[in-house]
Amino acid sequence: MPGNAKLRRSVMFQAVLLVVLMLASSNAPVGDAIWLNVPPTGTKCVSEEIQSNVVVLSDYVVVSDDHGHVPTISAKVTSPYGNNLHHKENVTHGQFAFTTQEAGNYLACFWTDSHTRGAGEVSVNIEWKTGIAAKDWESVARKEKIEGVEIELRKLEGAVEAIHENLLYLRDREAEMRTTSENTNARVAWFSIMSLGICIVVSGSQIWYLKCYFQKKKLI
Amino acid sequence: MESKWRKIWGLIGLLLLNFVNNVSSLSLTITKVDCVYEIVRSEGDIVSGNFVVVDHHIFWSSDHPGIDFSITSPGGGILHNLKGTSGDKFSFKAPRSGLYQFCFHNPLSTPETIAFYIHIGHIPNEHNLAKNEHLDPIIVKIAELREALEAVTTEQKYLKARDAVHRRTNESTKTRVIGYTVGEYILLTIASVLQVVYIRRLFSKSVGYNRI
Repeated sequence: MPGNAKLRRSVMFQAVLLVVLMLASSNAPVGDAIWLNVPPTGTKCVSEEIQSNVVVLSDYVVVSDDHGHVPTISAKVTSPYGNNLHHKENVTHGQFAFTTQEAGNYLACFWTDSHTRGAGEVSVNIEWKTGIAAKDWESVARKEKIEGVEIELRKLEGAVEAIHENLLYLRDREAEMRTTSENTNARVAWFSIMSLGICIVVSGSQIWYLKCYFQKKKLI
Repeated sequence: MESKWRKIWGLIGLLLLNFVNNVSSLSLTITKVDCVYEIVRSEGDIVSGNFVVVDHHIFWSSDHPGIDFSITSPGGGILHNLKGTSGDKFSFKAPRSGLYQFCFHNPLSTPETIAFYIHIGHIPNEHNLAKNEHLDPIIVKIAELREALEAVTTEQKYLKARDAVHRRTNESTKTRVIGYTVGEYILLTIASVLQVVYIRRLFSKSVGYNRI
């Protein structure tokens, strides 16, 4: 049957492509991609807390099994101050890249469009790379004319630097939190003593006032 | 035809992995059940990751039942099942390649935010190459070194998420201390003023006939 032969050919073509890719794949560090299910109504958001001056690279593509009708989604990325960094409607794939200006929570939201609603959940493949993972090693290799083991060691060096930076960041956060804890500790002590003081003052003034009142009323 | 090419490019994007790089620690808000899927390219890859429940709304009691977490392999078997946790680490060797499912289930109706990080580590070995290709042992060693560094990074993401939760608790404590103490002072003052007013009223009514 012609339909069967065509299907078999396309499947074989894909299988051959896969095998070729697996054999010839370079060590290009492409990030992990996660799949999410975007519900037919409502939005699905992923967020991340990112420091300032970090490169963010992301790629999203709608995954569908049937070739005829690929559902479309809309995507929106906002910075922690509310600025709109990327906004696209009715697309099946897209990508965005930016350097963070401020530290905070960056939010990327996806939702299905109104005319493809009713198709159930849409699977979206999201690739999200920040910092060292978003670095373009190909251009570094080309610019400095290094390759092979040397570029791999460079990548390791980059990874170690990123780990070091993360550690410093964690240490700073821990120092801030320690300050907050110590402040709270001091405040608890002060406020409790003050509360005792206020209690005494208030009851003392009550007694004094009532005494004056009764003396005025000539009851004492 | 175009959609087929798009799908192939999608597959290329997913499959051009030899040394897998890290993904940032993403946060997801779940209402009832939410799943994250990852494709494991080859059997024997070490999948490691962690998740932390960030939005733990502790109000009067820290009696939250926690989040249920489960990992399902592409064959349908459940690899890992945790009930009622507020965060955990996991690591396993993928028994087969394919699409792995990481599901979070929220027993309560309030939405919770979960920060998760999943890393799939692949060390090239003899199985993946064609018969006449030779595997440079340096490349394998570098891959192992890379995986060790990725383990450190995974741990750091976990620490970062836990630190964020701890920070929220701390700031909430600070706000509560100030808020509740000032409220306590005001209430105390109001109560004593009301006491005085009440006593005044008692005595002003009964002056004359009824000595209390």
